[in-house]
Amino acid sequence: MATFLTRRIIQMFVVLIASALVSFGLLYIAPGGPMSGLRQGQNSGRNKISSEDILRIKERFELDLYIPYRFSRWLIGFPAGPITIAGHALLGNTVVGCAIPGQARLRYPDGHTEIIEDGCQQEVTIADLSSRRTSHGILFGDFGLSQVILRDRPIATLIASRLPYTLQLMGVSSLLALLIGVPLGVYSAVRQYSRFDYTMTTISFIGSSIPTFVIGIICILIFAIAAKEAGLPFLPPGNAVANSDYVMPFIGDVVAESSLDRFLHFVMPCGVLVFVNIAGYSRFIRSGMLEVLRLDYVRTARAKGLQERTVVLKHALRNAMLPFITIMAGVLAELFGGAAITESIFNWPGLGRLLVDSIGRNDYSVAMALTMVSIFLLLIGYLITDILYSILDPRIRLS
Amino acid sequence: MTIPTSRPASQSELIWRRFRKHTVAMVCLLILITIYVGSMLAPWIAPYHRDVISLGNAYTTPFHTAADGSYHFFGTDHLGRDLFTRLIYAARVSLTTALTVVTISTMIGVIIGLVAGYFGGWIDNLVTRLIEFISTFPTFTLLLIASAIVIQNSEAIPIPAFFSAITGAVMAISPREANQVILIITIFIMLGWTGVARFVRGMVLSIREQQYVESSRALGASHFYNMFIHVLPNAMPPIIISYTLGLSGTLVAESGLSFLGFGIQDPTPSWGNMLAFANSYMFSYPWMPLVPALPILVCSLAINYIGDGLRDALDPRVQTEIRRAQRVAQLAAIRERSNPQS
Amino acid sequence: MLKQHLLRRAAGLFVIAMVVPLIAACGSQAAQQPIKETVVVKETSAPVKETVVVEKEVVTDASFTTPHPILGDVKVRQAIAYCTNRPELIKSVYPFLTEEQQKGLLMDTFLPKNHWAAASAGVTVYDFNPEKGIALLKEAGWEEGANVTTGAPLFLKFTTTSAAFRQTWATVLEQQLSDNCGITISRTHAPASWWFGDTTGLARRDYELGAFAWVGSADPGGISLYACNQIPLPSNNWEGQNGMGWCNETASKAVIAANNTLDRAERIKQYAIVQQEFSKDMVSLPLFNRVEAAAANKKLMNFKPNPTETYTYNIEEWELPGKDTAVLGFTQEPASLYTLVESAAVATTAAGLLSAKMVTSLDYDYQAVGFTKLPKLGDGATNADVDVKAGDMVWNTSGEAVALAADVEVTDAAGVTAKWDGSSPLKLKQLTVSFEMKPGMKWQDGSPVTKADYELGQKTTCDKESGATSFTFCESVQTFTQESDTKQTLVFLPGVQWPTFYTGGFGAAPSKQPIESDGPYKGKTLADVPAKDWPTLPEVAEKPWSNGPYKITGWEKGQKMTFEANENYYGTAPKIKKIVIQFYADTNAAVAALLTGNVDVLGTETLGAGAEVQTVVDAAAKGKVQVVTLASPTWEHIDFNMFVK
Repeated sequence: MATFLTRRIIQMFVVLIASALVSFGLLYIAPGGPMSGLRQGQNSGRNKISSEDILRIKERFELDLYIPYRFSRWLIGFPAGPITIAGHALLGNTVVGCAIPGQARLRYPDGHTEIIEDGCQQEVTIADLSSRRTSHGILFGDFGLSQVILRDRPIATLIASRLPYTLQLMGVSSLLALLIGVPLGVYSAVRQYSRFDYTMTTISFIGSSIPTFVIGIICILIFAIAAKEAGLPFLPPGNAVANSDYVMPFIGDVVAESSLDRFLHFVMPCGVLVFVNIAGYSRFIRSGMLEVLRLDYVRTARAKGLQERTVVLKHALRNAMLPFITIMAGVLAELFGGAAITESIFNWPGLGRLLVDSIGRNDYSVAMALTMVSIFLLLIGYLITDILYSILDPRIRLS
Repeated sequence: MTIPTSRPASQSELIWRRFRKHTVAMVCLLILITIYVGSMLAPWIAPYHRDVISLGNAYTTPFHTAADGSYHFFGTDHLGRDLFTRLIYAARVSLTTALTVVTISTMIGVIIGLVAGYFGGWIDNLVTRLIEFISTFPTFTLLLIASAIVIQNSEAIPIPAFFSAITGAVMAISPREANQVILIITIFIMLGWTGVARFVRGMVLSIREQQYVESSRALGASHFYNMFIHVLPNAMPPIIISYTLGLSGTLVAESGLSFLGFGIQDPTPSWGNMLAFANSYMFSYPWMPLVPALPILVCSLAINYIGDGLRDALDPRVQTEIRRAQRVAQLAAIRERSNPQS
Repeated sequence: MLKQHLLRRAAGLFVIAMVVPLIAACGSQAAQQPIKETVVVKETSAPVKETVVVEKEVVTDASFTTPHPILGDVKVRQAIAYCTNRPELIKSVYPFLTEEQQKGLLMDTFLPKNHWAAASAGVTVYDFNPEKGIALLKEAGWEEGANVTTGAPLFLKFTTTSAAFRQTWATVLEQQLSDNCGITISRTHAPASWWFGDTTGLARRDYELGAFAWVGSADPGGISLYACNQIPLPSNNWEGQNGMGWCNETASKAVIAANNTLDRAERIKQYAIVQQEFSKDMVSLPLFNRVEAAAANKKLMNFKPNPTETYTYNIEEWELPGKDTAVLGFTQEPASLYTLVESAAVATTAAGLLSAKMVTSLDYDYQAVGFTKLPKLGDGATNADVDVKAGDMVWNTSGEAVALAADVEVTDAAGVTAKWDGSSPLKLKQLTVSFEMKPGMKWQDGSPVTKADYELGQKTTCDKESGATSFTFCESVQTFTQESDTKQTLVFLPGVQWPTFYTGGFGAAPSKQPIESDGPYKGKTLADVPAKDWPTLPEVAEKPWSNGPYKITGWEKGQKMTFEANENYYGTAPKIKKIVIQFYADTNAAVAALLTGNVDVLGTETLGAGAEVQTVVDAAAKGKVQVVTLASPTWEHIDFNMFVK
């Protein structure tokens, strides 16, 4: 077990770094960034941006460094300047980036031409790095500063402001979906081909067949807009809390930011997620149960004259739940990652929206921080399920 | 060399016979085939041209005549383009995309999973790490970069003209639009095969321990023979089910991506981008999002029922032994990666 | 055994072979190679090529010198203009406007018709006329969509952003050009991050027909767009915004002259020349002014948005009977309230609530608010002739501070633009401006705005470490003197002729604001914090002291900002006691909130120019909300790139 764990954790670390490198590399070649749109207005007059200004902004956001150095500065905060050994500054002249890339023109056989960046007109060396701010490295818990969304302010505050909302939404909805989905699945399996089973099948198929944003919009139209116009109790269409007190028919005044207010805001996004997830969970459990119920040992249990209830819940369900652990591996990462579409529709201030925002607005340092945490949690989730599995199913040995 | 080979054929016959009894699934299969074949006949059955705009006719309500007297079954969009026509053409794009993505990614996943599970050892270890690695890829970012590359230099992507031409012909779109669609398909495949691979590998790990596989080896059957004749057919039922689920999942996912702004771009209609676009008109013209949402719902529902029918048809009553192997495999399946041999 | 071993290895290789291309496909760029011109020996599409290493200058100088085979001909460009039915484009995006309103949006030059500098005569107008277009194409050698001699197709790439309203009019344009004149365009709707990227799209002239918008303002500017020396090229590191590659000596001289004088009559004359040449050469087809809308709760009083000013400029006059809170909806969260580092519309709107307005810019002009008056030449400002000699810091015609030496191009006191020969006597105009602020301005704690505050403001604004993007204004100031709490005098470098010099100098920063957040400056005041740490300081970025109508009381990231009326505001006390800025995921959600009464105001930057405008206009017609549609100063146009890479 100990050797297995050590080996797994080392492998996990390697995968983590490799995944981080790939994501970082992808964002590196992606268009946009803090520079984009700078010259969207006329570049003249009192706010003219000179090439010197461009260089300074590039420097501020490390856009002038080559990717290995940028990655390592982001990952572990190195290099932060020349290495000083016994009073001698070493490697100060090593080129780590390019402030002004050279240009070259290529002419293709069909006569069309292409201009590419080629070579370097002005280089950046390690010595230039010592005057820059350097993060401690994400491996050591420093997420760095946001480039666009919360300009120059720590990403940690940004994540901290969204995390409670994401955990609340994802946690409660996953739990509810489980609590509702599993019994429904079991019941469907026990009563296979009954009317209940058919109804459940249809409902769960519909749940997985309509895009989430359509379900969300329909819910808003019915429960928020139509209900309000009809003078019925309604649900707020978006946000996590209200800005001012409001009156709810049959219930009375709702004080802004009270727990009732928060609950009312929570109902719709949570409900939609539960609806969508129940579909998956109950189908999964149903098919698992159907198979287990036919196995010999269940038959034996029945033959022994045990109550059907005991057979189903004690013998069959336990076994049917086993593969279920596997689909829970991603839950940890999901809890953190949030649900981008649902959050956008209901204007829920969660991390899923933040990720989409950060990519849409080119705040790659935020996108990278979120991706890194997700990767980490996903890998941890894999590891945990492996261990859990070996505990629950004695046939599988960790070696 | 007396290895029974007749079983796969008889099994599939049996499955088909049982599937036919599943009325709902049969009806759904017919509906799906009708929609797809209908979309292939789009140039003949579509009442209007796909892209022709007439501003005077914009926002015609379904089942109404437009300002110039033309009749629009599903109404018209903000440019007065006939929505029914666009839906039919979009079916080609959406359904073909989903079919291609799921077929290819399932194939890749099956082969890699089969190889990893059958041989075990370092190959297996490498594959599982790789699967973990790929499942961490940021989807949005990949799509963003891909669309940027297409724009910058559509010739830069080495998509053989042959593929663009075929895709273009099947989806009734220009080669340039086809390149874009191919790119999105490629990314979906790149990220999609891991699930299947992971779970096939788990199945194979336990099937190969079965007696008949071992005896077949002992009789001198080759690895290739063993993998494809003994192991694969027994792993088939869950693969088929995951295939159908993947189909409906991809259909729905494409519209989600369009909603977030990464997906097939507008001149090419897809159900997803039509839905995402109609979304901003939902207050003025509430019927507009419903038009593209309907076919997504119908097709996805149909595919789900077909999957359900298949699942029932593959019911293990007949071959308990094989089913038990599958059951054990599933236990060891999706997230499992210990190797009993090493 | 051996066989099994080999098989395993083969299978392993197979897996690697499947996977490596996947990884390779999504990563590494090709290794950088020396600068080269690639010349092909044989006419094949395969890369049979010979690499010749040449001088960098030679390579880059060859860029953008070959005229575009189609767009290089002025007749083709004019034909495209005649073949474009612009009223129909307007109708496609703004169907809810009346014919009259739609007509008012049409542009013929780079200035809207009601702009003070719009040319009154001599502008070539391109009304929709396909016959003329076809005739011009014929003259240029194109008939029925192909070249008469070579048979090459009349095919152009059209690039713009993926904004929904651009997709709409571009779809119409594509059909117009092909139906009317046989011109085929292939549209690309790129992500804005690529199209407006720093090293991609527009900035690299990576287009044939490129559509985007410029934001117009009271001052027409135009140097960076239309002067000959503003053509972005690899050799000048892509400086300038004249991506069309338009070099018309007359127009170029006129646009430089117009921007180097303070005489409005002279400016009108020079801009007229630029507009005449611009329309004659048809280098860029102006389409229309965008329509923007601002919508509000129908009970909100005194809601008067203006095309050239933030809609909250008169927020202290707003009144919402029966409610003490007004909610503004934003679709983007301000990145910081420190406007020096963040200039997005949402940030300036939010930060605007916290500062005493000095001027407003209503209706393409300026009005004094916090100043006692706007300085004018002879009344608060002087423009004297001064002698300059080699080595003096002066302002050149490209708008940079340089030491005077031979070959520096300047506009002299007589208005003549030329390169200095290095020896002859030279007189330049020197501008001196004094601003007088209204007395009684206070910070939110009741302490007065003092001389020290203005000095701190100037010091940080001009500190290169401050994180600001542009220092041009700072560099144009020779001396800055805050003479008292209410008087500021700026002496500009010789040669600086800011046409809008009267709009203000340096603002005040609350030097006495205590620093309460943890960190090295805790317990000190803002004056003790070096400029480089301002952007990261919560006291600056999140809860700055206000001297405006409101003060900030809370900012829940990702959700909302809350403001309360500032009881120490020197002006009229705001009637609405509390303002909330609520952030929405997208415009659609914000509109839904407006219609359900959860939001009271949606500004122009939130409603934009998309389909949602129509929704609010429809709702206004039903009496649910009030809406103001404005012909915004932002105007759409199609640039013709006249050269190939």
